[in-house]
Amino acid sequence: MAWLLLLVPLAGGSALLAVRARPGALLPGSVATMAATLAVGIWAAAAQPSATWRWGGGLTLGLDVEGLARVMVVLVPAVALPVVAYAAATVSDGLARLLALLSAFVGAMLLLVAAGDLVTLLVGWELVGACSWALIAHDWRDPERPRLAGQALLTTRTGDLGLVAAAAVAVGVAGTADYETLASLRGWPAQVVAGGLVLAAAAKSAQLPFSPWLFSAMAGPTPVSALLHSATMVAAGAYVLDRTVPLLPGASWMAAAVAVLGAATAVAGGVVASVQTDLKRALAASTSAQYGLILVAVGAGSTAAAGAHLVTHATFKALLFLGAGVALHAAGTLDLASLRLGRALPFAAATFAAGALALAGVPPLGAARSKEDILAAAGHASPWLAAAVVVAGFLSAVYAGRLALLAFGPGGPAAAHRPPAPAVRAALAALGAATVASAVLWLPGAGRVVEGAAGGRLFDAAAWELPASLATVALAALVVVGLARGGRLPSLGLPPGVQAGLAAWLGLPVAARRLVVDPVLAVSRRLASFDDRVVDAGVRLAGRVPVAASRALSWWSERSIDGVVHAVSGGTLLAAVASRQADERGVDRVVHAVSGATLLAAVASRQADERGIDRAVEDLARGTGAAGRSSRRLQSGLAHQYYVIVAAGLVATVAVAALGR
Amino acid sequence: MLSTAIFVPLLGALALLLAPRLDERSARRLALAVAAVPLALMVVAWLAFDGDGGGGFELVESVRWIPTLGVGYKVGVDGVSLPLAAMTALLFVAAMAYPAEVQGRPRQYYAAFLLLESASLGVFLALDLFLFYVFFDVSLVGMYFLIAVWGHGDSQRSALKFFLYTLAGSLAMLLAILGLYLASEPRTFDMAALIDQQPLRGGGLRAGLVFLAFTVGLGVKTPIVPFHTWLPPAHVDAPAPASAILAGVLLKMGTYGFIRIVLSMMPDTFARYALPLAVVAVVSIVYGALVALAQTNLKRLVAYTSVNHMGYVILGVAAAAAASSSDPDAARLAINGATLEMVAHGLITGALFLLAGSVWSRAGTYELDRFGGLAGRAPAMTGAVMVTAFASLGLPGLAGFVAEFQVFAGAFAIYPVLAGIGLLGIVVTAALFLRMLQQVFLGPLPERWAAWPDLSRREVAALAPLVVLVVAIGVAPAWVLDVIDAATRPLVGR
Repeated sequence: MAWLLLLVPLAGGSALLAVRARPGALLPGSVATMAATLAVGIWAAAAQPSATWRWGGGLTLGLDVEGLARVMVVLVPAVALPVVAYAAATVSDGLARLLALLSAFVGAMLLLVAAGDLVTLLVGWELVGACSWALIAHDWRDPERPRLAGQALLTTRTGDLGLVAAAAVAVGVAGTADYETLASLRGWPAQVVAGGLVLAAAAKSAQLPFSPWLFSAMAGPTPVSALLHSATMVAAGAYVLDRTVPLLPGASWMAAAVAVLGAATAVAGGVVASVQTDLKRALAASTSAQYGLILVAVGAGSTAAAGAHLVTHATFKALLFLGAGVALHAAGTLDLASLRLGRALPFAAATFAAGALALAGVPPLGAARSKEDILAAAGHASPWLAAAVVVAGFLSAVYAGRLALLAFGPGGPAAAHRPPAPAVRAALAALGAATVASAVLWLPGAGRVVEGAAGGRLFDAAAWELPASLATVALAALVVVGLARGGRLPSLGLPPGVQAGLAAWLGLPVAARRLVVDPVLAVSRRLASFDDRVVDAGVRLAGRVPVAASRALSWWSERSIDGVVHAVSGGTLLAAVASRQADERGVDRVVHAVSGATLLAAVASRQADERGIDRAVEDLARGTGAAGRSSRRLQSGLAHQYYVIVAAGLVATVAVAALGR
Repeated sequence: MLSTAIFVPLLGALALLLAPRLDERSARRLALAVAAVPLALMVVAWLAFDGDGGGGFELVESVRWIPTLGVGYKVGVDGVSLPLAAMTALLFVAAMAYPAEVQGRPRQYYAAFLLLESASLGVFLALDLFLFYVFFDVSLVGMYFLIAVWGHGDSQRSALKFFLYTLAGSLAMLLAILGLYLASEPRTFDMAALIDQQPLRGGGLRAGLVFLAFTVGLGVKTPIVPFHTWLPPAHVDAPAPASAILAGVLLKMGTYGFIRIVLSMMPDTFARYALPLAVVAVVSIVYGALVALAQTNLKRLVAYTSVNHMGYVILGVAAAAAASSSDPDAARLAINGATLEMVAHGLITGALFLLAGSVWSRAGTYELDRFGGLAGRAPAMTGAVMVTAFASLGLPGLAGFVAEFQVFAGAFAIYPVLAGIGLLGIVVTAALFLRMLQQVFLGPLPERWAAWPDLSRREVAALAPLVVLVVAIGVAPAWVLDVIDAATRPLVGR
């Protein structure tokens, strides 16, 4: 039954492809698919089912909905539902394919989160990646987008090697890759598994130094970004660390590494998001930063805080991306200097504002609470970590405010020529309502519920933390307002070159190209030309050595096996060996039969090839007759002599093939 | 039954050659009818195979042949050879059904295929080393004619290169076989007897030399770096169906020989020299992938990925050989993965080469940068290439992943550093296949391909079984893995 998590969206996606000729069926069909998937997810969260699939050869794949998986099986389809409705209402080219792939994407993500072992996780992980490639390359006729999709997939797949290694080591060393088994690993296998998981998660969750792939992923349609950045794909890295870090005491460095990685990405991503001139790119950089915060929570030992922020972030980030899509649809651009759609699109502006407030961490929205929980956990682990979280929080408040004002602030056109469709408004309303409703996290007793649902524990906040957070948010608001007053909100008062350099992920893509991609391509080209030279050398060698050898051999064996050197068909050799048994008459008969067959072959292949082969076959046929006569003389009864003949015959075949050309 | 499977294609080949006059269509129909016989027999053999024979051979047929030399005609199957033979029978039907330029000689074309099928099945089903060797060499002849006569480009030269290289390889293998034979007591070529005897047990110089000769001989056929250089030109100039057989079936003869002969008959010597072979395998994996990445020719690209994939197989076999007594569980993973990789690679790369033939027959070129945007004109072709390309780069849910993952799982437990280096091959193959898909099928459609036809019904019919099996093995590998496991468990558990 647990397999329904995968099968329902796959079946729905196939059905959508089947009805692609009827565009009217696609919106209700895709919404129904996601609603059914959501129902299965809610059931799975309650029933905590498990299932196995025998792979053979002693391996078994398994599903086991427990821990944070119980939250994710609901979150993924719940976020996907408004996103597919938005997609069905806004995309026209290849809509059925897009919706079917989105459904498959959700199914693969559910397989990933419901996995009970690393191999099943790996299967879901790679399928999510492949779906993301196809989704990013949705507009495949474009000359650039398919290349960007490939770039995105290759970046994450480089990290995937870590997960392949982790799963392979677990299976190879422990015989199984169940999550529980990981806890028993010690020594180098534990280190490889831990390192592999961190690498894979860093790539998937767009942490340093892999973060720029999210910019390439922008080539996909808006709903793809909305889903990819919120509850699927990028969430996978944080999810898997949330599940596995507590299980690997054998690698004590893992938690600290995750926390440091997350903190660094949270701060760097905050800077990159703050200086963007493109709305979607700003949101993409903020995704890296927010997942950085989630990793801080995991590393600091609070998987519950990580789970809570995963949920609140998924909700408001999907909302913000759909809002960006509405802006793009209305204004035809994502350039932050020329949007200000507040008066034209008041409803979209209001929902975007709710999302931006959540991103900024303004109470009483739930995202503010989950961020406070992360700060509490960080403070518990190390003051430096807490300081990084405060800085990241300040930056997120700055860019959230900047984006809200520039994208949907006042001062733009009075009306949009293309107002959003009803399904779009419904999607925005649903996600906006969910963002606001997450305020329940501030209620007393909510922490207990979070701990129960997400697994793990929340830490009590130190007395200074909440005031500090509020102060940074207030400070950020002052900064944004100050910049806006001075008219420097788009440029931040930075020189264009500096802003562009910071915005391009601090030069990381260029560094990756110079340090990794270009050298690999250069090595590959060098090897290829080296290989071509080896081919030629090999041919010369293969052409000369056997010819020389066969000449030497035929000189050496002139008297006894001269005839056989010409006799090169396999059948003749067999006959020569077999004739040891046969009497004189038998030999005659065999030889005649063989030469007869060879003659037939010769006749046939004369038609087959008039130029070179023909002559060779005729020679073979003539040689066969001679071989028959001489082979009778060769029955010395000494086995080793026959081996020499067989070997010599082979060498001779080489010679004939070489000379007869 | 197995003998029928081997010799019916041979009789079919003779019948085609003797037939006075047949047009292409009738010749193809006759050939397909003949090739259907071994395929059906393999299905029957699969159903009859019980796999509980403790790793022994089943469905054995034997005839006295040259008893004084210990040579017998003996055929049979176990869990390693059955999947390979079945894949061979299927791939031959698909290859012969595929449209081809028979250049006015349809009878000879299909006769060459049937001769090759007979030899190929013989290699996998033979239970006598001498018989194995004979079939091994006859397969060269069939392939030589297919490339030389029906190839394109500089096909004579490529065919000759192929012939010389691999014949030199089989000469080395012959010497190794004789070395093994001369060490047996009583002297025999019978595989089961040699497996029982373990003739060169205890090692020594002689065992080392025999191992070296086997490695060179089988390594040329596989091919492993640096003996691979015959492969790309042979593939590029061969007609597509012959390429599919060359990659799908003939390469497996080398890796099959490593398992059937070297690993089974001289495991202690293999264990001693497994590490250098594993190093060579990892070099093949990384080198093959990197060289493939630089290719601009579709067929050369796929050809070099074969070097990469055969590297996985050899890595699995070498790891299994190293650990068959110290860590039988990991060895079993590695050898199961290697065997399944042979079958998976046969199906995947067979399909990829057939599809390359479809590209050639429409465009007359393999240069990647001349294409683009074909997805809009040819959705079926695009879908087929995508499935096989993703299978080849190891996407889960498709056959390649199942095999490669098990190879790596076993190899990591035995040679962790080598396995880690070998992983790099995965990301490079992903890069090259993604680039290929993007260059050929995505982006804007060049003007000159505006009338590009999609796959014909015949092409679809030939490819469908291969693609379906790639998915079926990827999703539910148990039915194949259990058969393989029946043979490999006793092999590594000694």
